[in-house]
Amino acid sequence: MAVDMKMPILIVDDYKTMLRIVRNLLTKLGFSEIDEATDGTDALAKLRTRNYGLVISDWNMQPMTGYELLQKIRSDDALKALPFVMVTAESKVENVIAARQAGVNNYIIKPFSAEVLKAKLKTVLGDF
Amino acid sequence: MAGSDKLELVERLTNECVEMCRTILRGRKRLEPLLAPSFRTQKLQRAINEQKTAVREMETAVERIMSAVEQMSEIDFSDGGTAGLKVAACCDQIMEACCFQDITGQRLSQVGETLDLVEQTLAELAGQESRSAPMPSRPEGLLNGPAMPGCGMEQDAVDRLLAGGE
Repeated sequence: MAVDMKMPILIVDDYKTMLRIVRNLLTKLGFSEIDEATDGTDALAKLRTRNYGLVISDWNMQPMTGYELLQKIRSDDALKALPFVMVTAESKVENVIAARQAGVNNYIIKPFSAEVLKAKLKTVLGDF
Repeated sequence: MAGSDKLELVERLTNECVEMCRTILRGRKRLEPLLAPSFRTQKLQRAINEQKTAVREMETAVERIMSAVEQMSEIDFSDGGTAGLKVAACCDQIMEACCFQDITGQRLSQVGETLDLVEQTLAELAGQESRSAPMPSRPEGLLNGPAMPGCGMEQDAVDRLLAGGE
């Protein structure tokens, strides 16, 4: 099934530069409905108001980290099937394992290229 | 000098010596956070490494941005067929390079935490109020930030791990 390029995507990061970078790259890939949140709490509130098709989140944020956001999403019946991609500078093996166990769909190490983002989104969403 | 005067002098000198020792011990106590081996070998050394790595990453990012700008300035815009694609590729390169702000920001935050500790300890030693804002304790759940070069996993290794390997 073709990917709906108009599905809403929520990007979560506490660095405005990163939000801009990811938004621009997604726009270039053809996605048009992109919302932003600056931490897990903000993201969770937004997730409850709109039917998102994908979350792309950083890990290190306050007050709620991306990891905690992932756990909350996976334990919420209404959200648990939501694809979740972690984009983070945290590259220790234990972090990746923890994210995998928590149900992350993909994990991108910062800094990343446009090609890597595209490839990982294709893995999660299918070809577009 | 009379005997009583000598006694008084010895007593005064003794008291001064005792007070001096107390002052030294108080100072040493206040400096304890900075004298702890864990501070020097872990926190301080890490801050130094983070700062050096951040500088290198900034240089790399600026180099990539400059290269992209130079490439753009050399594009032949009379060739409408490829000029747009070349500009787009350069824009991608600039965009990717801008990721450095997040990573160096996290590294320099750790340097800042260490400097805060030094400043607060020295201010306490001098009997002054610290001029920096109180250092917040690292909230639970926050990790240590970007790994030092060569210490973290590469994307390929992460992919294999997520795929169930290793």
